[in-house]
Amino acid sequence: MHLLAKFLKALNSEASPWQIAIAITLGMIVGLTPLWRLHNILLLLIVLFFRVNIASFIVSVAVFGAISILLNPVLLLVGDNLLSSESLIALWTGFYNTSIGHLSQFYHSSTMGGLAIGLLLAVPLLFFSRFIVVQYREKIMTWVNKLKIVEVIKSSRFFQIYESIGS
Amino acid sequence: MKQSIRWSGLGAFIVIVAGIASISLLFLDTWIKLGAEKGLGSALGAEVNISEVSHTLSPFSVTLSRLQFTDPAQPQNNKVQAETLSADVEILPLLMQKVVINNLQVTGVEFDQERSKPGEVYRQPDAKQSFIPSFDEGDVELPDIDDLIAKSPLKTTKAIADAEAAYALHKTQLEAQYKALPNKEKLENYKQQIEALKETDYKNPAELLAAKEKFEAIKQEIRADKKQFEDFKNAVGEAKADLSPKVAALRAAPGEDYEQLKGLAAGDAAAISDVTAMIFGEQTRAWSEKLLAAVELVGPMLQNNKEQAKEEVTDAGRWYEFTDTTPLPDLLIRNANISVKWEENAIDSIWKDITNDHTKLGRATTFSVDAEKTSLWQKLALNGDLWIDDLGIKANQAWQLAGLALQPSDMVKEDKLSVALTSALLNSAGKLSINQNILDGTGKIDLGSLQLDAQGSNKLTNIIADSLNQLSDLSIDTDISGNLSSPSLGFKSDLDKKLSQAISGSVSKEAQAKLGELQAKLDKQAGDAIGTNDQQLAQLVNWEQLADGNLSSIDGLLKSKLDSVVDKKKDELKEKLLKKLKF
Repeated sequence: MHLLAKFLKALNSEASPWQIAIAITLGMIVGLTPLWRLHNILLLLIVLFFRVNIASFIVSVAVFGAISILLNPVLLLVGDNLLSSESLIALWTGFYNTSIGHLSQFYHSSTMGGLAIGLLLAVPLLFFSRFIVVQYREKIMTWVNKLKIVEVIKSSRFFQIYESIGS
Repeated sequence: MKQSIRWSGLGAFIVIVAGIASISLLFLDTWIKLGAEKGLGSALGAEVNISEVSHTLSPFSVTLSRLQFTDPAQPQNNKVQAETLSADVEILPLLMQKVVINNLQVTGVEFDQERSKPGEVYRQPDAKQSFIPSFDEGDVELPDIDDLIAKSPLKTTKAIADAEAAYALHKTQLEAQYKALPNKEKLENYKQQIEALKETDYKNPAELLAAKEKFEAIKQEIRADKKQFEDFKNAVGEAKADLSPKVAALRAAPGEDYEQLKGLAAGDAAAISDVTAMIFGEQTRAWSEKLLAAVELVGPMLQNNKEQAKEEVTDAGRWYEFTDTTPLPDLLIRNANISVKWEENAIDSIWKDITNDHTKLGRATTFSVDAEKTSLWQKLALNGDLWIDDLGIKANQAWQLAGLALQPSDMVKEDKLSVALTSALLNSAGKLSINQNILDGTGKIDLGSLQLDAQGSNKLTNIIADSLNQLSDLSIDTDISGNLSSPSLGFKSDLDKKLSQAISGSVSKEAQAKLGELQAKLDKQAGDAIGTNDQQLAQLVNWEQLADGNLSSIDGLLKSKLDSVVDKKKDELKEKLLKKLKF
């Protein structure tokens, strides 16, 4: 709840839409692939070292983690097809015989499938996320604030947490 | 740029990574313990226990203490156990999931030790069939002589019957043929008729022509008679050829019967032929297993490990394997010193290049043991090599063991015979090769200064026990064959022969007397039969001679010709004609 509040706060704050969009995109890659992988450590470093919105990243990991469970058959299918593709065998074999290749565990079908789909969707999601954030701030946020239910929420415990963040 | 970087985030990252590393290191020993127990247990097919694990980071090394490998065939015992196992592991190959150990030290290795509680068995080993016969199996006892004579099919009786049957078969035919033969009067008559034709003075050519026709008719009859004699002679020859070997067999039969009955009276030949295997087999198998321990233990474990790696698939995705072009196999132990503990002595074995992928390494695993002048033996030299590939295990091993002082032990403990080894000095040498898991080897085991304490419970086992108690040395030749998972040992020694002789010489006086009676009876039966058969053979010989004589006479008659009479008459007619022409 605290994280969700932080995420909403980020949406409503002055945080750059790019920061939020990059966080959502990176969170998507982490969420679609098994957690304990070398590329996820690298993404964590990027998120922490650069000013990527951490709350948005964590929420994105959670959301896409849940989506990856639903998409698991698709991820496995993509991974299997890529790893067994005759035209890519030489590439995979070369990478397999390096330390980085072994540590990346790319030769696991779920990892390969999640990473491939994540990378494929990264750029569209990046721009789409930014567009949504901008639109939210410009149009939806004002409209939402006028809703009765929002007024109810504002009087709730959740809103108190929300308000306390950054105050 | 500064606005894009969050230095505190980098600090947080370092803290997170360091935290994960710290937790990993904190639990590294536990993870190694659990991983090793699971991995080794899976390769062995039975529970593996490690009491403690410790490690150092620089150089990276792991020490496992008190390792126990449950024997899948006897879960209450450890197949092998070790006090400590220390390994210096190279870090970089670990990143490629390759275990490369430069030095491996294993101390306090012991075989077949009892466990505090039975270990769990994950995979039942192939059942090893016992190749050791037992004294308690079947009726191992000296037989009763009367029973033997009653039950034994005697060769003499059969030989008499065979000879009589053969003679009877030919007799009917020969007698019929003999009766049909032309008698002497008939042959004499032919002779007189021919002489008469020769001496007649023929007055004219017509008479001469009639004489010649009569002469040809007589010769035709003689030829028919000759055919009868020839057929008879052939039949006699066949009868002789059939009867002669049967008479010869009849002459030999009583002697053979006597020897056979004496042998049977001495005991069960099949039972005593396996005494070496019965008494020394189990112990020899145990010694052999120790000598084969290197190949038997390490080989299958490395092979299982390799097979298992190929099957690694998880539910949450599939692990793909690509061609490993790196020069390192998945497991490589460059040097190992394994110290085996045997009766308070430490025997060091030196190993090189232990791996599960010899094809990739290009070298065989080699091992050697050279231990001299221990409290147990004067010399033990063992060396060999081992190669594992997709076809199975290829290995060679040679050993030489001198002056091993054997400890007192029970060798056979059965109802009918018990044998305990009091003391002995064992020398052994041999070699063994394994190709695609098939064993082929020979070994020699010499037992010197041998003292056995043997006790039997019946006549036969008492004799065996006495013979064993008198043994002071014994040489056993062993043949090793079969499959690696189910080796088979064959034994040969002069003990079996010695025992046969001892048992043959132990036939009781009563039995000897009965055998003597039997022999006399058999001799008489055979003698009578031989007499009769000799007469019958003599009859055949007479017939043969008769046929020969008559054939000779017949041939003489057939050679007679009327040509001289005809020529004489021709000359007379020619002279008469010339005289008429002159007038």
